Amino acid sequence: MVDFALTDEQELLRDTARSLFTKECPPALLRDAFYDVTPEGPAAARSFYATHLREWAALGDGPLVDLALFMQESGAVLAPGPLWVSSSWALPLLRAADHPDADAVADGSLTATVAVADAAGRWEPGDHDESWFVPHLEEVDRVVVVRSGPSIVVVDAAEVVGAPIEALDRTRPLHRIATASGPGTAITEVAFRDATDRATVALSAELVGVGRWLQDTTLSYVNERVQFAKPVGSFQGLQWKLVDASLHQERAAAAVAYAAMCVDADDADRASSVHVAKAAAGGAARHWSRTGLQAHGGIGYTWEHDLHLRLRRAYGGDHLLGDADWHRDQLAALLFD
Amino acid sequence: MKLSWGSEEEAFRSEIASFLDEHTPEQLREGRDWIGEEADEVPQWARDWQALLFDSGWMIPGYPPELGGRNATPLQTLVYQEELAARGVPRSVHFGGYGIVGPSLLEFGDETQRQLVPAAIRGDTVWCVGMSEPDAGSDLGSLATRADLDGDSFVVNGQKVWTSYAEWAEKCFLYVRTDPTAAKHKGISVLILDMDTPGVEIRPLRHITGNAEFAEVFLVDAVVPRSNLVGELNNGWRITMGSLAHERGGLWLEGVGYAQRALDGLVDLARDRGLDSDPVVRRTLGELYEEVRSIRALGYKGFASFAQGSSAPEHSYMKLAASELRQRLNEFGMDLQGAYATVTDPTLAAQGGRFQAAWQMSLAATIGGGTSEIQRNIVATRVLGLPRG
Ligand SMILES: Cc1cc2nc3c(=O)[nH]c(=O)nc-3n(C[C@H](O)[C@H](O)[C@H](O)COP(=O)(O)OP(=O)(O)OC[C@H]3O[C@@H](n4cnc5c(N)ncnc54)[C@H](O)[C@@H]3O)c2cc1C
Repeated sequence: MVDFALTDEQELLRDTARSLFTKECPPALLRDAFYDVTPEGPAAARSFYATHLREWAALGDGPLVDLALFMQESGAVLAPGPLWVSSSWALPLLRAADHPDADAVADGSLTATVAVADAAGRWEPGDHDESWFVPHLEEVDRVVVVRSGPSIVVVDAAEVVGAPIEALDRTRPLHRIATASGPGTAITEVAFRDATDRATVALSAELVGVGRWLQDTTLSYVNERVQFAKPVGSFQGLQWKLVDASLHQERAAAAVAYAAMCVDADDADRASSVHVAKAAAGGAARHWSRTGLQAHGGIGYTWEHDLHLRLRRAYGGDHLLGDADWHRDQLAALLFD
Repeated sequence: MKLSWGSEEEAFRSEIASFLDEHTPEQLREGRDWIGEEADEVPQWARDWQALLFDSGWMIPGYPPELGGRNATPLQTLVYQEELAARGVPRSVHFGGYGIVGPSLLEFGDETQRQLVPAAIRGDTVWCVGMSEPDAGSDLGSLATRADLDGDSFVVNGQKVWTSYAEWAEKCFLYVRTDPTAAKHKGISVLILDMDTPGVEIRPLRHITGNAEFAEVFLVDAVVPRSNLVGELNNGWRITMGSLAHERGGLWLEGVGYAQRALDGLVDLARDRGLDSDPVVRRTLGELYEEVRSIRALGYKGFASFAQGSSAPEHSYMKLAASELRQRLNEFGMDLQGAYATVTDPTLAAQGGRFQAAWQMSLAATIGGGTSEIQRNIVATRVLGLPRG
């Protein structure tokens, strides 16, 4: 049976996360840190993980359903810091290798990022000299480099030689790094897939949070914004666009919850559900970005409004860990092969 | 019905083509449809370029030489705009003066005001256009900036927003309310405002791209001489409609030209990424090709009936179609780059990052100059004849 209702504990988790982010992660934090850079901004964003997120790091060891709930909330506010990559991706890889740093990453005293992709953006283990699209490099202590085998090599982030990749979303900085050589620890193919699935679903949940913020913000804007003596939300030409965006959003949210349950239960639907979740969540967040911007009119096209921050994260997130097209190709393969 | 460009048009085409090949400034050669401008003042090369076009009769070819033209026929003007658009070369980095203010002053201005037109078109005077306000966007008719007549002057109070080029501008074509008691569209007038008038304050606003290319303009007891009133008092709505028509008028060619350029770039991109035999990519590009060309054909059709003196309902579709198409073309250009889709580093992203940049800029195309929803309302009521909702 499928049950989408949250347990009391899950509801508490969501509510606690929501009030934490409402209180501690005001919009100004991101704006100051990454866009209208103020001297204190970057430091405040940088210490956000240590001050507010580290006690949540252990979610990476628990049910994916819980982690996904938390990621939705953090996605809605675009909480700074490496929680996503550290807990949902690096941690299961470290666990798979029985690595001595795993416990410290789980208790939040250490953070880690993951280097998998090659220059072509394939998220598969390999022996490429350079790893690309490594998130949050400058905010973490360790880099988990995935190599062929699969095996992992864990290196000190401080020792890594990397160059930033200038991209749309500054709040999730990406780097290319020279890939560490040296002896790795073997992990199983299954463990690698499991970590990728967890990271993919957690990222999808974040995208659902991004879409939810766009939906909530846009709906309240079109209720308040008056033109022609009516709220613009009363114009059907706009309503139908908003309805379509909300349909994408609702099915994405459901697909992500379903995928998290499938992974937790190691269900037969697991593989397809993860691809469905990522494709739907990336698509929905992108769709809401465009629709939300359009519904805001001029203000949506500026830095006066925070919508652009979500648009950046939506498009950036869609292209991490395989874009919607790639996941749809995998689904087609499941259909035919 | 027949398709042929006369030898006259062909000669005209090669003349403008060789002029552009020879004189286009380096800064515009890459195609300006994806490069924003951020500078404290209009760059000298841009001033020189606009002045050169004017002096050579290539600024607005349909106008006489003293207005930067060469008395070209409408068909020649079409050819001219096609050649510019095909190269992605703009005439100016600020559209208001030659695109809106010049034509509006010629139509509605008095003798003295018409003397401002050559400098507006040549770019010697930079103009901004102050229509939108915080509470008057799509509903422009509800604009509330007050201009109260006091002897021989107006005293202006209010606020404009999204005013492009306000920071550069010496003058503003300002839409104000001069009769607050009259019905909405009846109490509006247009004033020429000198931007250095005491009481005018500008706060730059950033586009999504990060460039500060428009601004808020605050007006506190700004005094404007009565002689700066354009047309009759309280009869400004007609000028407004004229201005919007000028803004929308020739833009379709630019829109189609930019779309064609983006499509050409997509074909190169697909080839470079080895996706030129991918059936999905081929089908999508085929579909986009169909759209670009059919929209162009629709534009030609509208142009032809317009040139023969009939109304051209086709034109109502053009901004809507071209702006939405441009967004999809550029977004597809990002998607074709896979993991590099959102990479903006010009050395890493395909073709110098043009798709990422052009996509961000294209997001304004469905808002500025009348949103897509407003365009659809116009088509619904004026073209399809549907009742107003
Ligand atoms: C890049 C850029 C440059 C600009 N430059 C200038 C300039 O130089 N000078 C100037 O005066 N203005 C300028 N503008 C402003 C532009 O004209 C307005 O943004 C535009 O008219 C929309 O108004 P708004 O932003 O207030 O949106 P709103 O009118 O508030 O619209 C909000 C949403 O409601 C929808 N909506 C409104 N009415 C209806 C309706 N009746 N039916 C269905 N949907 C509706 C809109 O489509 C939109 O989706 C510029 C805008 C941009 C983006």
